[in-house]
Amino acid sequence: MGKGELVRLMNLTKWAVGLASAGLVMAACSSSGSGGSSTGSSQSVKSGGSITYALDENLAGFNINTSAAAEFVLQEVLDQVWPTVFNADQNGTPFLNTELVSSVTQTSTNPQTLVYKINPKAKWSDGQPIDAFDFWYNGMIQSGASSITDIDGKAPDVASSAGYNQIKSVTGSDPANGAACKSDSVTGITGSISCGNGDTVTVTFSAPYADYKALFSPMVPAHEAAKVGWNTGFTDWHTVLSGSWYEISNYVENQYVVLKKNPSYWGTPGKLDTITFQIFNGDQQAVPAMQNGEVQVIQPLELDLATVQQANQLTGVTRKLIGGFQYQHIDFNQSDPYLAMTPVRQALAYGTDRKQIVARTIGEYDPSIVPLGSRMYVPGQTGYVNNGSAFETVDVAKAKSLLQSAGMTMGSDGYFQPSSGPQKGQDLTFTLKSTSGNTLRANIEQLLQAQWKAIGVKLEIQNETASTLFGTDLPKGQFQITLFAWVATPFVSANEAIFCSYTNSSLCGENWNHYANPQVDKLLTNGAAATSSQSETNDYNQADKLLWQDMATLPLFQEPVFTVWSNKYGNIVPNPTNFGIPWNANLWGLKAS
Amino acid sequence: MLAYVLRRFAYSIVVLFLATVLVFVLVAESGNPLAILLSNPRVSHRTILEREKLLHLNLPLWDRYWIWFSHAVRGDFGLTISNHAVGPELWQHFAITLRMIIPATIIAILAGVGMGVYAALRNGRVGDRASMTANFLFLSIPTFVIGVVLKEFVAIPINQHVNRTIFYTSGEQSPSLTGNVVQRLPDYVAHTALPVITLVLITYSSWAIYQRSATLDAIDSDYVRLARAKGLHPRRVLTRHVVRNALIPVTTVIALDFAAVLGGAIITENVFNWQGMGTWFIFGVGQLDINVVLAYLLVTAVAIIAFNLLADVLYGLLDPRIRYD
Repeated sequence: MGKGELVRLMNLTKWAVGLASAGLVMAACSSSGSGGSSTGSSQSVKSGGSITYALDENLAGFNINTSAAAEFVLQEVLDQVWPTVFNADQNGTPFLNTELVSSVTQTSTNPQTLVYKINPKAKWSDGQPIDAFDFWYNGMIQSGASSITDIDGKAPDVASSAGYNQIKSVTGSDPANGAACKSDSVTGITGSISCGNGDTVTVTFSAPYADYKALFSPMVPAHEAAKVGWNTGFTDWHTVLSGSWYEISNYVENQYVVLKKNPSYWGTPGKLDTITFQIFNGDQQAVPAMQNGEVQVIQPLELDLATVQQANQLTGVTRKLIGGFQYQHIDFNQSDPYLAMTPVRQALAYGTDRKQIVARTIGEYDPSIVPLGSRMYVPGQTGYVNNGSAFETVDVAKAKSLLQSAGMTMGSDGYFQPSSGPQKGQDLTFTLKSTSGNTLRANIEQLLQAQWKAIGVKLEIQNETASTLFGTDLPKGQFQITLFAWVATPFVSANEAIFCSYTNSSLCGENWNHYANPQVDKLLTNGAAATSSQSETNDYNQADKLLWQDMATLPLFQEPVFTVWSNKYGNIVPNPTNFGIPWNANLWGLKAS
Repeated sequence: MLAYVLRRFAYSIVVLFLATVLVFVLVAESGNPLAILLSNPRVSHRTILEREKLLHLNLPLWDRYWIWFSHAVRGDFGLTISNHAVGPELWQHFAITLRMIIPATIIAILAGVGMGVYAALRNGRVGDRASMTANFLFLSIPTFVIGVVLKEFVAIPINQHVNRTIFYTSGEQSPSLTGNVVQRLPDYVAHTALPVITLVLITYSSWAIYQRSATLDAIDSDYVRLARAKGLHPRRVLTRHVVRNALIPVTTVIALDFAAVLGGAIITENVFNWQGMGTWFIFGVGQLDINVVLAYLLVTAVAIIAFNLLADVLYGLLDPRIRYD
């Protein structure tokens, strides 16, 4: 699995968890939204025509809710195919898909109870209604309960049980047209839903789940899954029924997916007749393909100067660099005796010239990028505050002073030497591990080596494959310093798993740095339970200030998202969230001349 | 001859077996294909265990190899780590690669033999020097450079000039292509042209050099001198005595190279975004997908062994002086 896939898998997971957390501030009220058809629509376009978008990875299947197929590229394809209760717009703000669900209301906080009102017209492309049975099945199969199996008796492969494992019950009521309630069940799932054909769904939680907007987004068709199974039933595209604007009309493995308008769609139909996702072996070949008119939209994942320069040669296109939610950062493993000392970590931060790193890497093609001052928000996002201004300017003298205060003495060769510990009497040396084959990170590593030499610290580089780094080294704490990317989603509660105290292994599983601060824990918990956006932002920024003070990690910079599309098309709006650019593809169309 | 073939075949089986063991161990020890899932705290332990069981990752290495081997001999290569059957994927990618390399090889043979004979007949003259310069140029330029140059400086300018797509730069065919084979043929050709030209350029050049050398040897041979002395027509001397004999070493080289081209089309496939065997193999390596890597290895190894054997047999058939003990 390449680094792109890793980052995207992380994106996907974090988005899924984070999506609903933006809704924390509205947890006690009814949700309504701008609807599925009113966002991102500002240009007049005509109906008909087709478009081709370059996907940069293969698809591993079609059930995005399984760990085997949870990929960003699949999410992009399914944006317009499977029904989602909540989507996220170009600013990362979740909005209710009102063409599917007219309202979501939290009717009780103890126990937390949500009531979904399904549009009675909503139906799958085979004519079966989208109803409470679909909510029940999707909730049960992803619950992670040991008693639940797929139809063949095997354990369901579930990408994330978060939230579903807190659902106590899913009930239905109010069938369409006053029909009688009908019971539904699926082999492998204990029990049944007594009113599966209901258009009102009541979900009751055993424990509060603030991120409820991440649930049922997307949903698989329950009646189809009951026949073909959850784990492998949706590897064949013919079983992928549509519950949205478009349906899959053709798929050739590793080559392309073609979507056409779903004739059964009950709401405002999509504009384009077909949307083709052409699969590329990475990003390098997409720009020439666009130049040759073979694709009309590209969004390279592996962004570099050469790609941007190449794209700048294209004519008749719109290019847009927007701030993404992904950011590079340096992590310090505090189980190391030297990195456990705050002054040492602070010294490394003062010795890091982040402005130089930005200028010599990503700043070459996006001069708007500045050193990142927060782990919770990115520049341009509501709530962003530069909490790291103290570390914005490199300060060699202060770094050296901090190392001295940590018991280091300067050796004759210009490197500090610890007075105790495993490196006693030797040059202070750290090993940085990152992913091999990543030019951006390799450049950062070289700059860090030179910068830290100036403060008397030796840096050795030991890059690993992504599978080794993320599969073994980081989870097992087998590193001193590491460099990789996180995704600071607009849904900040997702950061809790990274920054809360590592001693809480079930909640803070991604805190690989052995960082612990009860004050930070408290602020993160408060933020997740905040009832106003102001207090939510305050809590997270307070937590971030403490993280800067403790120098738990050193954020470097946010990475831009680069999108290029043909000027012939309107309403194409880059979206840095994990819905990707096809988030509003139902509104895309050829510009009306 | 038959005994020789059987002996070579038996050796080949042993080589193939050892190669599968070696590759299996190397890939299995390279890392855990479920590493990303393991690092994701939201993927339940139960899911991980189920995936491990499905991929036999919970078993000792040799048990895993035995499972793979016992399935492979029955033509079943197991599942990819995404739960897809490897067999159908293998043949799908193999067919795509063949679509590229068969026409490329045929054209390269014609070009290589033609250019080689032409250069030999113009030995030392402008035609020979120009031909040899081109041959060494294409031999020394990396494949991806040829591919990119063809795309950027040939195909795209031509398409833009005529304002329609004569050459496609990515993929094997247009999505949702309909009609019978004849109706689809122009689209196939438009997609296949650039990768085939790339493969031809990197392949024909060495064959042309071999052909030139073998032709020069034949021209200088006693039997050609005798044929000329007997007053045979120069064209008859060329076709019956020079080219025919000069083809013997080149034929074996081409047979050996065909298998290498099969495995070596990786770069061409990547540059032109073809989802052939090479691309599939790279994807498999990236995912540490042992069944994919081994399936690729088996096909390419069998092809190399088969074409090596074919080269030996052909050599004996074409040159009666060769005897197999």
